[in-house]
Amino acid sequence: MRSRWLSLAAITSLALVAAACGDDSKSSSASSATTSGGSTVATGAPGSGPGAGSKKVGFLFVGPKDDYGYNQAAYQGSQEVKKKFPNLEILTAENVPEDDNATRVMEKMIADGAKIIFATSYGHLDPALKVAAAHPDVAVVQQGNFIKDKVPANSGTYFGTVYEPVYLAGIAAGKATKSNKLGYVYAFPIPQTIANINAFQLGAASVNPNVQTFVVNTSNWCDVAKQAEAAKSLFAQGVDVITQHQDCTATITKAAEEAGKMVVGYHADASSLAPKGWVAGSEWSWGEMYSDIVATALSGKFTGSKYNANYRVGYQDGGNPFVQSKFGPMVDDATKKLIEEQKKVISSKDGSPFKGPIMGQDGKELFPAGVPDYLTTEAKNTAFVKGVVGQIPKG
Amino acid sequence: MTAARPAPSDSISGIARIVVALAGALALFGVLMILKGTNPLVAYADMITSTLTDEASVEGILVRATPIALAALAVSIPARAGLINVGGEGQLIVGGVAAMGVALALDGSGPGWLRLVLMGVAAAAAGAAWSALAAVLRLAVGISESVTTLLLNYIALDLMYFLIYDVWKDRQGSGQPATRALTGSERLGLLGDTRVHLGLLLAVVATVVVAVVFRRTTWGFRLRVVGGNTEAARRAGLRVGALLVSGMAVGGALAGLGGYAQLAGAEYKLRSGFVAGYGYVAFLASWLARHRPVGVSGAAVLLTAIAIGGDSLQLDAGLPAASVNVLMALVLLGVFGFSKKRAAS
Amino acid sequence: MNMLTEVLTGGVRGGTSILYASLGETVSERAGVVNLGTEGSMLAGALAGYAVAAETGQPWLGVAAGAVAGGLLAAVHAYLVIGRGANQLATGLVVLFLGLGLTSLFGVSYVQALAPSFRPVEIPGLHAVPLLGDVLFGQDALVYLSYVLVPVSWWVIFRSRWGVLLRAAGERSEVLVTHGHRVAPIQYTAVIVGGMLAGLGGAHLSLAYAKAWFENMAVGRGFVAVAVVMFAARHPVKVAGGAYLFGAALALSPALQARGYAINQFALDAVPYVVTLVVLIVLGRRRASDVPEGLNKVFETTPGR
Repeated sequence: MRSRWLSLAAITSLALVAAACGDDSKSSSASSATTSGGSTVATGAPGSGPGAGSKKVGFLFVGPKDDYGYNQAAYQGSQEVKKKFPNLEILTAENVPEDDNATRVMEKMIADGAKIIFATSYGHLDPALKVAAAHPDVAVVQQGNFIKDKVPANSGTYFGTVYEPVYLAGIAAGKATKSNKLGYVYAFPIPQTIANINAFQLGAASVNPNVQTFVVNTSNWCDVAKQAEAAKSLFAQGVDVITQHQDCTATITKAAEEAGKMVVGYHADASSLAPKGWVAGSEWSWGEMYSDIVATALSGKFTGSKYNANYRVGYQDGGNPFVQSKFGPMVDDATKKLIEEQKKVISSKDGSPFKGPIMGQDGKELFPAGVPDYLTTEAKNTAFVKGVVGQIPKG
Repeated sequence: MTAARPAPSDSISGIARIVVALAGALALFGVLMILKGTNPLVAYADMITSTLTDEASVEGILVRATPIALAALAVSIPARAGLINVGGEGQLIVGGVAAMGVALALDGSGPGWLRLVLMGVAAAAAGAAWSALAAVLRLAVGISESVTTLLLNYIALDLMYFLIYDVWKDRQGSGQPATRALTGSERLGLLGDTRVHLGLLLAVVATVVVAVVFRRTTWGFRLRVVGGNTEAARRAGLRVGALLVSGMAVGGALAGLGGYAQLAGAEYKLRSGFVAGYGYVAFLASWLARHRPVGVSGAAVLLTAIAIGGDSLQLDAGLPAASVNVLMALVLLGVFGFSKKRAAS
Repeated sequence: MNMLTEVLTGGVRGGTSILYASLGETVSERAGVVNLGTEGSMLAGALAGYAVAAETGQPWLGVAAGAVAGGLLAAVHAYLVIGRGANQLATGLVVLFLGLGLTSLFGVSYVQALAPSFRPVEIPGLHAVPLLGDVLFGQDALVYLSYVLVPVSWWVIFRSRWGVLLRAAGERSEVLVTHGHRVAPIQYTAVIVGGMLAGLGGAHLSLAYAKAWFENMAVGRGFVAVAVVMFAARHPVKVAGGAYLFGAALALSPALQARGYAINQFALDAVPYVVTLVVLIVLGRRRASDVPEGLNKVFETTPGR
């Protein structure tokens, strides 16, 4: 009997301590938590917009920061922010899942004093919006997803037009392949990925009309075992150039090199892992855009800025953060020249990898005649183009 | 195993051994931190202050401990009857799946409160069915319930993935496998302006009710008799089968409610990683507190607090968040391994 | 390559890490000790194997290190269960979390490291055999090692003197005691050898299969291994069958996708578990009597209060 009471007392006191702490910090942070629901933002005084005057910037990554891929690139971007703003403290959190745990990590960053948060994984959007709603004084930006409803005053998404350099890499792949079979290992059928797969096939088909792209999805940003199996299956189909949309890229790159196949990189320069088979690739160079977002928020001008939206930047603006990687040994000068010319074409006002008409897998028109803008391109990439072999999971 | 009646001082020594284990674990983990070039004193100071005094973090603990405590009670109740439920993970998942299924099927029709209630009922029923199956199989074919509950975890997980991958996938969504989000009236209310939801109250009430049931009801008493000596219970005329199945089912229902609370209170969507690992932590919480309801929920809070300390470890000390699992494991090893030596089980 | 060959080849390749871990769990369970921490031993083996291979440039040293690391983690389990009488299932889960935590703590610096890996080696002659040649004899050295370990474990368990003691330790420990044997050393050996085998499985995962180390890269394979042992009733040859069945289920999805078929792989993923459950139900009564007595104690025990 006594023992039960003791443990009950322990729990109650723990709960009381928790409650007391909760109340305590609430009263001290009341000014930011309750009154900033519009009035502080609206005053427009210097240093009052979301993120203004922040001493810390937080970055969330879904995977490890040295994955030869997406997270490594984002981490490097965060370190460049550190270089540009030596007075800012940079908080980084790796392996943050795309669920409510991300909410908690962001809350902790904010409690530690961060008023600018970069949620860098696609699936971090829901928690990011939840945190943005709870903290109007914090600028929460998300990398690569799309806010469908009204964009909150302290939030936004940003990304490069990934499919542009992928289209150019597709040209190199289309020239390099002997079997006319390309392989694409992807994670999820999200619009940016479908755009990449389509752009890769379109680029390859522009120089090699017989080429096909075989696709396999893994339903995971980085499950190395599934990647290994997917690569083997594609090679077994006769694929001789493989590429991927995965966060971590080492496994597939090494698998290709070992099997004597060729590989097109994505997210980061992994050419050192495949000295023989590396064809081309695309990689992130986030430093500049991250720094600009931070500068915008610090100055109190985030709300209404181009980052307070679904911001996309590509070749036509001259500042795509997604850049071409180096070419491999099998890419000859003629191909490089061709790619350079094509880059000029898609950088011009009337060029795009998705310049219509483009036919879908089913033979129906996917893109009508004309040049779609960036967001239209992303939105319309819901089906594979002709030449892609594989089906998108329903949904 | 001898079912020694707890001595009056048993629980005091119980808390004491947790404290000793915690101290030992902190010391050992500190050594590991030194190996990684981190000052453990600073790291611990940061970890304790930011985990226990920061509002966001305390809310995070309570949110995450809610489904874990409910799933831990799902271990404790069958344990009283001598059954081992390793299936908290699967029962949490089917609870979430059932709740989501009801929300999708009703699709906004009917009064909001009714939908919320029906979701909870479905979740409890699903969790109960999932766990009772294990008890039934034990009685009918003689397979150990610890084996079946473990297997049913994977089946539940694959079932959820199967559904969110295409059948239930949100067609207006972002392309990742996930259902649509629950809308306003399908969500559990929040306590004040915190992130803590009504599921916490559910967990607290469940803890108290289970404690009372264990102590004051015939059913609770009979469960214990069956757990103490099945043969004697049978000779005394108790319906052992019904007791085993009901004990398991009631536990599973609570875990199902845990899945419901996590879905309707915190996540709002089924997506990959839903309650991942919570069921196993819950199992450990129940064992940590020797299946005593109030202690079990306390242990769930303690283990969750340690896990959330990982945030600080990462942000303040620069160590990987998952390394906090070492600390949690060391605490548990201390308690399991260095308490009064018991007869080998 | 036709689809059957591809799926079977992938099944063997992907099933090998599970096979190692299942063989380990078989040995451990034969002595009456269940180890849910197998997943932790696999992770420890995967990291230690990759790290040592990267540091030394010697993949086989990595394999040895993987076995040692897996064995060390299992030794913790053995001590708590055999030495301290703690509950096996709970302790196993603790060991899992310990492995998860330790490998994430010490694994960070090896995510980007480059280790020499095991490549497929075609066995001359045997590789020319239709179907089986591709499936079984175009694999890497660790796969071949696992082929050897299956009959070896069978012989050790069922034919060797130590095997008699091992099974007695699991089934009728009192008999051992009356004959003047000590049970604990046999159980310790079994659990630690089990962990070493799981560590080898982890090393196969990082050094041969994925050729990389990543936090939590076993993603449940250790639990699969425990399920395989249930499926196979602790028989090494059946364990191999079960491990390859799981491996083939994993390989089927990409094979179908690469041929242009949409497939919800999670339906496939559940199949081996459902099959295991059905097998257990169908053979339930008979199987129950096959279970080592010591295990029955684990599963039937009245929890301490």
